[in-house]
Amino acid sequence: MMRHEVYITTNEVKVDGKVLSHNENGSALLTELYRAHVGDYPKFFKMDTLSKLGFVASELLLQAEGAPRFEPREDRAVVFFNRSASLQADTAYQETIQDPNNFYPSPAAFVYTLPNIVTGEIAIRNKYFGETSFIVMEHCDESIMARELQNAFLDPMTQSILGGWLDCTDENHFEANLFLVEKSHVPCSEVSCQQLNESTNNN
Amino acid sequence: MDDLIYTLKQQIIEALNLEDMTPEDIDENASLFGEGLGLDSIDALELIVLMEKNYGIKLKDPSQGKEIFKSVAVMADFIQKNRTK
Amino acid sequence: MGDKQMIVRVSDNIISPLGMSTAENYTAVKAGHSELKRRDGLWQLPEPFTASLMDREMVNEIAAQQHIDERYTFFEKMIILSAAKALEQTHIDPASDKVLFILSTTKGNVFLLDKRETGFPSERVLLGVAARQMSEYFRNPNTPIVVSNACISGVCAQIQAMRELESGHFDYVVTVGADVQSAFIVSGFQSFKALSVDPCKPFDANRTGLNLGDAAATIIYTKKDKVTDNDWVACRGAIRNDANHISGPSRTGEGSYRALRAVLGDTNPEKLAFINTHGTATLYNDEMESFAIERAGLSNVPVNGLKGYYGHTMGAAGILETILSMQAVDDNNILATRGFETIGVTHPLVLSNENKPTDKRAFIKLLSGFGGCNVALLMAKGGVS
Repeated sequence: MMRHEVYITTNEVKVDGKVLSHNENGSALLTELYRAHVGDYPKFFKMDTLSKLGFVASELLLQAEGAPRFEPREDRAVVFFNRSASLQADTAYQETIQDPNNFYPSPAAFVYTLPNIVTGEIAIRNKYFGETSFIVMEHCDESIMARELQNAFLDPMTQSILGGWLDCTDENHFEANLFLVEKSHVPCSEVSCQQLNESTNNN
Repeated sequence: MDDLIYTLKQQIIEALNLEDMTPEDIDENASLFGEGLGLDSIDALELIVLMEKNYGIKLKDPSQGKEIFKSVAVMADFIQKNRTK
Repeated sequence: MGDKQMIVRVSDNIISPLGMSTAENYTAVKAGHSELKRRDGLWQLPEPFTASLMDREMVNEIAAQQHIDERYTFFEKMIILSAAKALEQTHIDPASDKVLFILSTTKGNVFLLDKRETGFPSERVLLGVAARQMSEYFRNPNTPIVVSNACISGVCAQIQAMRELESGHFDYVVTVGADVQSAFIVSGFQSFKALSVDPCKPFDANRTGLNLGDAAATIIYTKKDKVTDNDWVACRGAIRNDANHISGPSRTGEGSYRALRAVLGDTNPEKLAFINTHGTATLYNDEMESFAIERAGLSNVPVNGLKGYYGHTMGAAGILETILSMQAVDDNNILATRGFETIGVTHPLVLSNENKPTDKRAFIKLLSGFGGCNVALLMAKGGVS
């Protein structure tokens, strides 16, 4: 099986190592990618930035894979890792309750204050009934991600994983490095944190 | 009333992030949920916040929403009769 | 089970408004106690709510005795204290690199986002940084893993622990679950119209929503070649998605049913003392669970729910409810579903608001959460044959 990988940061998009040209940066980049490569899923506009990032990255990844889509399946897990959990959504929700004189808690903002919502968005889009999971750690650590991906295959149902690093600190600072990995494949080589840690440090 | 309907459409588009829509795209007599605009349960909760924030209307029982959110026209009528701001 | 190594509980702890140990909590629950109380004006919230909350001063005092001082947030004190109390019953050296800490939480130190909160570095709002406060306290060299899968995190963390042990990376996993309530969480659930102003009524015809609660709970797991009749074995866990909606559960209990089916395998349902449900007392959750249980062919197995004692303790719930279920089986008891009076779900369930005897030695723990996620875990005393 060919290895597929999508890398998206605030100002860079790569699919299987090839640079994808774009005009926008930050959150506008995600909308540009959605319009250019998806376009038929208006729920996208309701998502928080982490979900938009995961949604667009997973769409590019699955388009690169080229397999038939939207068939119900339980054998593919969605397992993401990051540092900031749902920080952008948390901050957006906090703004709706910060001022006691303008206190209108937003349910649409609150629902995204959990990092695993993006795994649900991808499961809904693709009819994935398998495992969905979100793991948070202090820094991107390749060996831990490889260990956890291997662990996820201990569920006998799981034959492939749509997984990787998916982090967002605010609307304009994010990074995704998603890939598809098969059970027979050793995932260690799939995960690279170098680029990610460098860009995290630059933030 | 037409002004209120137009303003309400704008507020709904903004509150529910209906990115690709304009007020002209929304038929005020069409159903907001299901077949019409295709809104869901989180949208319904957000409409409750919209009514409280912009018109000072507090729904005592969220299930009242079912009747009020039938269409933009029904919603505007309810707002006109019950608004406190 | 042949030569297969099994994942076994070493020790556990619960810190909640009902007590600072597993034993205190079990005794209180068995006697029907709860600290769910109506709160008016707390945290300047405009609407009243009912919650089970810790006496924070008391936690500060107890923590201070163990040198868990003001450098730590209330949330961090809770997780360190609970882990310490589980560890002190063992001979485990938490500083060993063969010990891993896993934290289950949904919102950790989220209260630090409030601009009025000062006194802690803002990075402590990051779950990994909060978890490191705990692992560093115990001088543990490994990066702690945080499982943040909404309401199902506590059982996911246990499945994670089972896998870490099964794949041979560690000898012991300290699995800690916690959440502490704040204006952030309460107002959010209020905006979802998901809270009941009165104590919650799981599976009841008149249920109107859930309550929230503070708690921290810990289970330490290890791996054993030979288990005794008294060892609690974590047999199988499964996480499945509804692929349906990000906040509403599947009407047909799709993900929960699939998770149940996966953990049950070829185990005879006759061996189950009970299914400990999520049982939040929201209209949709309880109805969904009754459907999932029926679809899995488990309608004759007694079920219960513990939210009527503690409210929904979020990241702690899966661990806290697993511990109390083990205690109950040890005591040949099926704990009462507090708050339940008249059945209010359409699919048949065996439910009671009184404690009932049992001589069976296994149970299934169920949870479901936002993001359409569902989890099931099969626990058996002495393992399943």
